[in-house]
Amino acid sequence: MLVNWKYRPRDTFIQRLDPRTRFIFMACIVLALTLPEIWDYRIIFSLFLLSLTLYLMARIPWKDVRRAWMYIFILVFFIVGINAVLFGRGGPSSLTSYPSPVVFVLSLLGWEKPITVARLWFAVVQIARMLTMAMLALPFPYTLDPNIYGITFKRMGVSDQISFTMDLAFRFLPTFARDLTITIDAQRARGYEVEKLSGGIVSRIQRLAPLIIPVTMQSTVTGEEVIDAMDLRAFGTARRTWLKELHYAPRDYLMIGLGIAIFIACCVLKWVYGIGDFIVPDFFIKLFV
Amino acid sequence: MSNASITMDERGRTWEFGTRQVVYGAIGAALYGVLSWATNIFPLPAAGNITFRPAVAILIFFSIAYGPWVGLLAGLIGNTLGDMLTGWGLYWNWSVGNGLMGLVAGIGFLTIINYRGTRDILKAIGWGTLGIAVGMLFASLTEMFVSGIDLSTALVGYFLPAFLGNFVVTAVLLPILMIAFAGVAARRGR
Repeated sequence: MLVNWKYRPRDTFIQRLDPRTRFIFMACIVLALTLPEIWDYRIIFSLFLLSLTLYLMARIPWKDVRRAWMYIFILVFFIVGINAVLFGRGGPSSLTSYPSPVVFVLSLLGWEKPITVARLWFAVVQIARMLTMAMLALPFPYTLDPNIYGITFKRMGVSDQISFTMDLAFRFLPTFARDLTITIDAQRARGYEVEKLSGGIVSRIQRLAPLIIPVTMQSTVTGEEVIDAMDLRAFGTARRTWLKELHYAPRDYLMIGLGIAIFIACCVLKWVYGIGDFIVPDFFIKLFV
Repeated sequence: MSNASITMDERGRTWEFGTRQVVYGAIGAALYGVLSWATNIFPLPAAGNITFRPAVAILIFFSIAYGPWVGLLAGLIGNTLGDMLTGWGLYWNWSVGNGLMGLVAGIGFLTIINYRGTRDILKAIGWGTLGIAVGMLFASLTEMFVSGIDLSTALVGYFLPAFLGNFVVTAVLLPILMIAFAGVAARRGR
């Protein structure tokens, strides 16, 4: 078993961006959608297209992201989508009182639920809203070098200690994955069947102990050795320097500017002009009437 | 009591943030990340939409053994690593929720003296449960803003399954981890 880190260097616009730019841009879009509570399909669909464009520009092969998309689709379509259609939950309070024709009445075990056009449209909008955010977050593990997370957060104002913790965690990852592999192999040699955990839930969890305990206890011993080594090098007594340096390029300023502009525009539209509330377009109503 | 020596020395420095916290925060995060990812390879079947993440017990253990900062960092970074390894992207609110889970459970570090003692093990489970409740509640409630779900969906669809799954795992594995740790700490003598 190998930890298959998803990152692959590709010469794309997304990978040429400074990592700080990508985090700031994502934060701007998430805040633009959530802080002023935007539910207007015109704004959401525009941001959805922008997000989709950036996602496609990352050029991540489908086979790499297939599993992740499956998880996102299940969450978005079944949990959020169906919930939105049946109950109209989660959206603005105006949704439940939004005047719209009934498409059909869902009858289940004596329980009747009128499904309105507004609820159907709300499900579409909510799915687009969630996918907009998911498409910005999903590419990170595939397109950002694990070695630059530490310096990225340091240059975003996070302290040396926390940035170094992050850096160290990335470096420990393959070591502990290897330890886990060795432990699994050793336990298998003693007749432990990892794939065949039987019994009740508690006993199944208990049976994971032969894998978890040795790796965890070994890591606590390793920790003491690392602390000794770092203390001997006077860690934390002076400001740290970092091996890699990050520099903004003009494209980074452009992207950060775009992100901030979108955030400000959404706030102004909602709070100054009152645009951004949930509305059902006429063409959608006409489909059912 | 040799197995308690490691905490007797540190208890007065609960909120200190030095080399020890940096290293164990990183180790906790890496372990949490690796085991979260491994759970996807050897999934534990569960009832309904409750999923079991055995790695949560590691997070609570690191919080109880090394304090709140270690718990915060292990949860925050570890959850991010686990999601990234699996290729799920970044879910900031669940990572912060996991960080809070470690932070709150880590306050229990103050109260644990004997890692083998039944009373202290129960205390640790209690702090772990409180941490799970706070962390998962935060993550579930912030989903209302992130995903636009309503309060009842946040509580019934997100919080309850996450809380129950994490609680069961912690209640089963934490005592085993604590007893094993007592033995290691006694052998190491520091």
